[in-house]
Amino acid sequence: MTARLPLPREAAFTSRLRSPAVAARVGAVLGVCFAVCFVTGIISHWAQLPRPAVPFPTSPAWGYRVTQGLHVTTGIACVPLLLVKLWTVYPRLFAPVPKGARRLLLTTLERASIGVLVASAIFQLATGLANAARWYPWESFSFRTTHFAIAWVAIGALLVHIAVKLPVIRAAFGADVDDTALDRPSATVPGPVSRRWLLRSTWIATGVAVVATVGNTVPWLRGVSVLSVRSGDGPGGIPINTSARRADVVATAMSASYRLVLVNGDRAVYLTREDLLAMTQRSEKLPIACVEGWSASGTWSGVRFRDLLDLVDAPRGAHVRITSLQPKGAYRRTDLPSNFADDDRTLLALGLNGETLAPDHGYPARLIAPNRPGVLQTKWVSRIEVVA
Amino acid sequence: MMPLRVLLGALGVAVGLYGAWLLLDRQETVQVVEVAVWFLVGVLVHDAVVAPLALLAGAALPRLLPVAARGPAVVGLVVVTTVTVVAIPVLGRFGALPDNLTLLDRPYVAGWAVLVGLIAAAAAAVAVRNVRQASSAAGGPQA
Repeated sequence: MTARLPLPREAAFTSRLRSPAVAARVGAVLGVCFAVCFVTGIISHWAQLPRPAVPFPTSPAWGYRVTQGLHVTTGIACVPLLLVKLWTVYPRLFAPVPKGARRLLLTTLERASIGVLVASAIFQLATGLANAARWYPWESFSFRTTHFAIAWVAIGALLVHIAVKLPVIRAAFGADVDDTALDRPSATVPGPVSRRWLLRSTWIATGVAVVATVGNTVPWLRGVSVLSVRSGDGPGGIPINTSARRADVVATAMSASYRLVLVNGDRAVYLTREDLLAMTQRSEKLPIACVEGWSASGTWSGVRFRDLLDLVDAPRGAHVRITSLQPKGAYRRTDLPSNFADDDRTLLALGLNGETLAPDHGYPARLIAPNRPGVLQTKWVSRIEVVA
Repeated sequence: MMPLRVLLGALGVAVGLYGAWLLLDRQETVQVVEVAVWFLVGVLVHDAVVAPLALLAGAALPRLLPVAARGPAVVGLVVVTTVTVVAIPVLGRFGALPDNLTLLDRPYVAGWAVLVGLIAAAAAAVAVRNVRQASSAAGGPQA
């Protein structure tokens, strides 16, 4: 006797709503959202390269805020879209295995590509959603490396899926959504809603998911974004990601013996915070835009970064390495490409929105540059070194 | 169309293999194994838990509601369930840090409840209207 799982047959699914006409329409929007996520994700990885072969532009200052906000928002929009899409095609999971070696091989390959597509899509949305809320339920793998790698897998599987389904997609868009030509033979029972209303529900759900979370990065929607990871409040009116306590810098940041070290070759200049405050002060309105998708604009005051480099006669076009007081962590040391170091808007900030920089924002001094991921806007700066 | 499809498919395979190489090349075996586990568990959770639950809901609906109320109920359920999936990380506040008060700093359960309440109220209002219209079209309630 063999135990068998009571799996349903494809023919047992009778709802007219589970139709390629619906799947193609939801799938098209989902495909566009995946493309947006992929492109904005690539931009984010480009922005984080220490020494990009093609320089990442410093303008517009709000560029990264928009692309990364779009990345996370579009990813959230994918959740309802993917769930409905999978619902419409779920019966295909139980499709009978075809006879004949050639058809069997083709079907197996196609179903393997679908398996990879579904698995990578769920993986990307689940890990991305968790990361945006700073939740790391996995033990060992690196979110950044893995999310980047699986993005290529997902887009590759999506291209294969489009190639396979192109005739069906064309036929679906060439006919009315209620057309039954593409339906499975058993899909004849009307659903509780029409196909149009199933599509409308999907768009409504997507819209609600976006509006409920996008206040993270669109300030005027904060009031209604009841599910956004951050309300937007924080010291100086701006949220934080890593506190001074977590970075283990409370003592060193507040110490009277704090000195900023500027290094160019064998030249070194030591500055106290008072020395920095005695230099020409500039003020720039720049956003802090985090990889997790939240962002906020602030008016930062402090010393122009280029003015500091001039103190050690650093030539224009020089790359710079910035070190933080924090004793450990992947972002203790960051590379500032020359175009950012030379940009007039790049500051070593000492104040935010008219207040002294809060310890959690990087007191005594932090980097703030235009169009740069927040994780690279180094806080508690202790050393600025020209690396040629 | 066939050459285009072949080209697209070949490009897809190449892009996907590049991703697989990125995954395998840049991480330790133990990390890749965990990714593989997550990969499979994600599909299993959908195919063996989420989808059957949706099937159950679809089967229960006609037993619980009159015909005229089913449409709005489905629309409401699609919106509520999918938005709730989006809300899982903030509802659980799994990433909250004691030293960071700017993170996960909203009353998420209350906000979610209000959202669900609004959607349910809208669906109920349409359902009531539909039921009334259906009964008046049928000549009103039978005496």
